[in-house]
Amino acid sequence: MYISRSILLLLMFSYLLFLTSVDWVSQPQGAWYRPFIVGLLVILIAALCHREQNSDDL
Amino acid sequence: MTFELSSLFILGLAYMAMLFVIALATDRGWIPQRIVRHPVVYVLALGVFASVWSYYAATANAFRDGFGYLAPFIGISLAFLFSPLMLRPILEITKSYQLSSLADLLAFRYRSPVAGTITTLVLLMGVIPLLSLQIQAVANSVALLAPDTSQTTLAIVFCSLITLFAIFFGTGRGAGREKHEGLVMAIAFDSVVKLLALLTLGLFAIYRGFGGFAEVDAWLQTQPELLASIKEPDAPGSFHVTALLFFTAAVASPHMFYMIFNENNDPKALTLASWALPLYFLLLSAPVLPILWAGLKIGSTAPLEFYPVSLGVDYGSELMTLIGFLGGLSAASGLIIVITLALSNMCLNHLILPVYQPSARNDIYRWLLWKRRALITALIWIGFIFYYLPEDKLSVRAIGNVSYIASLQFLPSIIALLYWPRGNKKGFLAGLGVGVLIWFAFLMLPVLTGTNLLAFSDVNTREIIAGSLVTNVILFVAISLWTRTSAEERASADICALDTIRRRNRTGLVARSPEEFIEKLTKPLGERTATREVLQALRDLKIDKQEKRPYALRLLRGRLEANLSGLLGPSIAHDLIDRFLPYTIESETGATDVDVIESRIEAYRSNLSGMAEDLDNLRRYHRQVLLELPLGVCSLGEQNQIVMWNNAMAKLTGISSQEVVGAQLKDIEEPWGSLIADFTSAEAAHAHKRVVQVKNKRRFISLHKAIIEKSAAHKIKQDGIVILLEDLTETELLEEELTHSERLASIGRLAAGVAHEIGNPITGIACLAQNIRDETNNDELRSMARQIIEQTDRTSRIVQSLVNFAHSGSNKVDHTSEVVSIEECVNEAIALISLDKRRKDIHYRIACKPGLKILGDSQRLLQVLVNLINNAHDASPAGSTITISSKLVSGSVQLAVTDEGTGIPESIRDRIFDPFFTTKEPGEGTGLGLSLVYSIVENLNGHIDIISASSRRENPGTRVILTFPCYDDAGLPVENFAKAL
Repeated sequence: MYISRSILLLLMFSYLLFLTSVDWVSQPQGAWYRPFIVGLLVILIAALCHREQNSDDL
Repeated sequence: MTFELSSLFILGLAYMAMLFVIALATDRGWIPQRIVRHPVVYVLALGVFASVWSYYAATANAFRDGFGYLAPFIGISLAFLFSPLMLRPILEITKSYQLSSLADLLAFRYRSPVAGTITTLVLLMGVIPLLSLQIQAVANSVALLAPDTSQTTLAIVFCSLITLFAIFFGTGRGAGREKHEGLVMAIAFDSVVKLLALLTLGLFAIYRGFGGFAEVDAWLQTQPELLASIKEPDAPGSFHVTALLFFTAAVASPHMFYMIFNENNDPKALTLASWALPLYFLLLSAPVLPILWAGLKIGSTAPLEFYPVSLGVDYGSELMTLIGFLGGLSAASGLIIVITLALSNMCLNHLILPVYQPSARNDIYRWLLWKRRALITALIWIGFIFYYLPEDKLSVRAIGNVSYIASLQFLPSIIALLYWPRGNKKGFLAGLGVGVLIWFAFLMLPVLTGTNLLAFSDVNTREIIAGSLVTNVILFVAISLWTRTSAEERASADICALDTIRRRNRTGLVARSPEEFIEKLTKPLGERTATREVLQALRDLKIDKQEKRPYALRLLRGRLEANLSGLLGPSIAHDLIDRFLPYTIESETGATDVDVIESRIEAYRSNLSGMAEDLDNLRRYHRQVLLELPLGVCSLGEQNQIVMWNNAMAKLTGISSQEVVGAQLKDIEEPWGSLIADFTSAEAAHAHKRVVQVKNKRRFISLHKAIIEKSAAHKIKQDGIVILLEDLTETELLEEELTHSERLASIGRLAAGVAHEIGNPITGIACLAQNIRDETNNDELRSMARQIIEQTDRTSRIVQSLVNFAHSGSNKVDHTSEVVSIEECVNEAIALISLDKRRKDIHYRIACKPGLKILGDSQRLLQVLVNLINNAHDASPAGSTITISSKLVSGSVQLAVTDEGTGIPESIRDRIFDPFFTTKEPGEGTGLGLSLVYSIVENLNGHIDIISASSRRENPGTRVILTFPCYDDAGLPVENFAKAL
């Protein structure tokens, strides 16, 4: 099974972001929409990674 | 604020009518295809996942679990974010093998109809309560807005409309293959409505409920308990279990499977969905918290899950209430339609068809269509009954929540399907069986009956789910390792697994042509269906009906199985094809079709990087070298099947590689088939200058071969023969021409010698005869002397022509080179010939373009023309016309002499330029005329062609065409006529 580098990068990025953002998201004084900002960031990176995805015909 | 049932009824009816119109407009082609087939429509249609479970229950979940309510959205989003790991490979399999549901996929992978049936039953158990929940949510929201009305009436109307919609737009024409664009468009519209509804409600909650974003934060700070409950981490594992459950749901829930894989028009759309669908879910989940808090702030008395509808009521906005109601209606309707379509296919393929199959006499498509419609109706109304019957509506919700968990049990088998080819049917059934049993005993049974088997312990739901899943995995792995896997199942596993290149290469189909395919399939399917399916498969593969190549027939068989799988499910299709279109020869495992490997590598080429990319480039380079090799290359595999046919081979034989790759030698057009086959079976490794007749022309071909021995290495199973074809026709023709020239030269030398040796005695004889004539008075003697002189004159002329011929054959360029006008030369030749008064009555027509000039010797050209016109004259009947014409063609002067004689017979055409060859009576000609013309024309850098136009009815004579390079007055070559003038 071939896993493209961009997907591996996305996996690593998401995991690291999850680890580092947990505290920031759950700060009592923090804005309630912080998890959505993190989500948006992951989606943005994913969109960039998937742009590199191939377009092989099935 | 309350509403009349009639207003809600009209609103619901108008909404459903709109769905009908959109679907109808799409199906009728009123909406442009670029919109209908746009990837964004596909992405929005995937929003069907967000059912009332996401629309209504999310607010209650957010109150209970805080940010934990995001777990389902995160779970499904992860499946899409990492779609290349799971969704994309499954899309490839489902597209290639026309698998329409998870049951189809598992039945195909584990080669077991039982696997399909059990999967269908488990999914039915898990999903029917979900259907009821949708109906209940719509009915409850109506009850909230119009408390005095009958929820049941509206539920019945709602179910009836949904049934009609699903039947009209979801079942197509029954062929089971077509995309339902109208349905997809309507579901996409549903998704837009619910997203807009939630976003509007969210903004309404923030600005009307609080006054702005900052005010929301300020209010939250006054609610420390609420804030803590939101941001507090969930119970350990709870979030993960829910996320995992919804990650699995991307494939294991029937509606998502249907939308992702069945209605996908373009794999690129899935790439877009990989990030766009998570974005859609993010936008859908963001307004949930403000709606919840706005409801809590105003002290809403409605149940938490109905805040999206009650918010408008609580804040006195009718518009917002109706928007909330419409959003819920769209969420419920989309899910019910798609889920029943998906389930109806599964039930038909895995519950009905294994037990009862239509007779071949029936119209199968019609039979399947009506069964599918009946199933859709039955499923929706079972959902309704499930909602209607229970006294306690809360229990429906509880059952719905628990039942959905069953789908998690498919996760191990789905992962094994792609990544673990050793997993087998027994392991799958054991793992799934025990997992489902644990789920039923410890989760479903307590909800259904109220008896908790684990009452004595404090095991919670999350732990039961984890336990059932772990047991499932352990059993699946252990039993798969301990038990044997059938060859059939291994083949399927190899097809599904992504890291294997093993393919079984089976040959020797019983049916040897598409007609025989139809004949064999007529028995189980009936003639009409068999013909339609075979023709459809031929169309899909773009194969001709006359195709007989084994490679193409194997493809046709595979395509037919896939197409029938779309119609009848994989188990029945496989069984049917195996029984009626069997293989006769099965090669050993590990043998591979080179073209299969190549097509796989081509499909994944853009995925390759690093060393793999280098290897692929190397492979392509070597392949290109072989393809472009200026020698014909043909390699043969097992049973003399053609594996490779390069460009030179295609040019040489006139047979393209597409026509021939995969065919057997005996199927190739003659004479090539027998030439190669004879050479293949012969012992010699080389065959020199074999003569073959191609379109009445001789071709000289040399053949060479090399045998590829079967390797002893386990992984290399290729053997075969490489054959090289060398076209020596050009060389042979040049050799023949050279031999001809050599012959001419030697005859020339001989003629010069003979002329010299004969000339002297003849001169002596002539002188003596003249002396006798002049010195005698005897009349008889004088007469004899005159005759001797005449005969010696004639001999001298012959000797002179021999000398001329000998001189013309020499390569020495001692002739004058000047610019010669063709027109003047032709006129002079005609004038000379006209001096002979004894000639027949022949008309001369001169059609020369004025101004055409060549470089050469005018006297020699004159000699050529006189010879040719004389020949034409001799061949022409009295009263006919000889035409002398000239024109400019691509920088060359074409001079033609055409007569209306009898033409030149085919049998002597090759010899007419040979010296001393003549068809005239002895004494009439020496046979040196044309030979001389040939030599002179060659010396003038020209070319001579003779066309015996015996086929031309109007002028059945001969045309001699002389071609010379054209020059201008200054002696420079010209390119076109304008310059020549």
